[in-house]
Amino acid sequence: MAYKHFEAIEKHAGLLGILIAIMVSIGGLAEITPLFMEAHSLKPPPGVLPYDPLRLAGKDVYVREGCYLCHSQMIRALRFETERYGHYSTAAESVYDRPFQWGSKRTGPDLARVGGKYSDQWHRLHLMNPRQLVPPSNMPGYPWLAENKLDAADIQARMRTLRRLGDPYSDADIAGAPAAVKGKTEMDALIAYLQGLGIRNEPLAKNPATPTPASQGGAP
Amino acid sequence: MSAGWSLWVMGLIVFNLGITLFLFLWGPRAKIPTLPDGTSGHVWAHGTLREGIRRLPRWWLLFSASMFAVGFVYLALYPGFGNARGMLGWTSRGQLARDVAANNAKLDDAMKDFASYTVEQVAYDPAAQQMGRVLFQDNCAACHGRAGTGNPLLGAPNLTDNDWLYGGDGNAITASIHDGRNGVMPPWASLGEDNVNHLVQYVLSLSGAPHDAAMAAAGKPLFATCAACHGADGKGNQALGAPNLTDHIWLYGGSVADIHRTIHDGRQGHMPAWSPRLSDDQIHVLAAYVYRLSHPADASHP
Repeated sequence: MAYKHFEAIEKHAGLLGILIAIMVSIGGLAEITPLFMEAHSLKPPPGVLPYDPLRLAGKDVYVREGCYLCHSQMIRALRFETERYGHYSTAAESVYDRPFQWGSKRTGPDLARVGGKYSDQWHRLHLMNPRQLVPPSNMPGYPWLAENKLDAADIQARMRTLRRLGDPYSDADIAGAPAAVKGKTEMDALIAYLQGLGIRNEPLAKNPATPTPASQGGAP
Repeated sequence: MSAGWSLWVMGLIVFNLGITLFLFLWGPRAKIPTLPDGTSGHVWAHGTLREGIRRLPRWWLLFSASMFAVGFVYLALYPGFGNARGMLGWTSRGQLARDVAANNAKLDDAMKDFASYTVEQVAYDPAAQQMGRVLFQDNCAACHGRAGTGNPLLGAPNLTDNDWLYGGDGNAITASIHDGRNGVMPPWASLGEDNVNHLVQYVLSLSGAPHDAAMAAAGKPLFATCAACHGADGKGNQALGAPNLTDHIWLYGGSVADIHRTIHDGRQGHMPAWSPRLSDDQIHVLAAYVYRLSHPADASHP
């Protein structure tokens, strides 16, 4: 290789730009592409089921209100995290999360296994105004969620869309959605979603036989 | 990662490291045509700026060489080169298991020690108090408050007043934390608005609070229904978690409006079970911390 080739690269900004782009993309091609492609072959572990209609609605409220901007749902395999939040998260636990809610920001605590840690009433009061339970909290209140009623037809449409993407909803599941969300508010849905996060947190005696809904795959 | 993707990653690493290593080795030796004045002939600003040819500084060469060395050593020792596990066999899960084991070993002696004493005894151990405080702030403070004084909005009891719904000895506190508690006060709206109001006044009279005597008298016969849980004298029942109504401690507030709501709509207090979220050893220490909140000092532990 002769110097003139490098002189050519140096003197042609377009060529230089293309070659830089190739070199810079190597990291992404090695780190992202294989995981991205293999993610599609990830199988849900036993006990991880698609969200029931109420929790599905709650997950969408969670995403819409931007909860992920302050709360992660990924416990890393580090002792100070497992000590505080429980068993580390696994990829298979969030196969039914679209989009996944791992997050990268923790202004508030991780929520991957918050289910069962507090009572429903605690969540209700906390979402209305966090300061009435945790005086120094800087989390905003979400009182309007208690006023917004859920729209069953909308949730059925979401379930049908997810089924097209591969989630195993049966016709009976979708037909049962209106009954499941009848009279429920977005607040109820969000609380149901939060209480379902992390199977290990649910009282074992409550329902030992039935597997727990989505995202919360049993002890991984 | 499948073998195909592993090869893909390996290929990219070889390509990337290969090309950078080649440039590093070849660059300093490249023959660059120079003009008699020692410059490359590249000029800017009409010849005012000319590109000189200089050797790369030694520190830069050494630094870059060490970067390559670190890169190769890392890929040899740790996972990174496709599916290769690396010579150390390191995994993040293995690291976590080692960290947990090391921490448990560190705490093991103390935990064994604590477990051999009762909750009431551990409550006066400074190390257990320190551990219990951290556990309490992380797990209990959200409902019971950082100082353990409770929250009437939630019906989370004050833990500092030595008034107990389910009993205040070490075993009862341990059971409350381990298995959780579910308070079930049914709604009595079916009694009718007048009767609920009479009951409110009667309940107020039980603790000697200001009340309407006529209404309280009208409520007294109705209290037979309540007596099933709260006892005929209203002193409560710790087996059921039914609060004592004759003291001045109110789980959900003691105003007329609060008591009305309690009777009219019922109350469903829920304390989550903390096992298996917390280990039995941790619950033991936590119970001792909670016990101490209402027993700051006793005769045997001045």
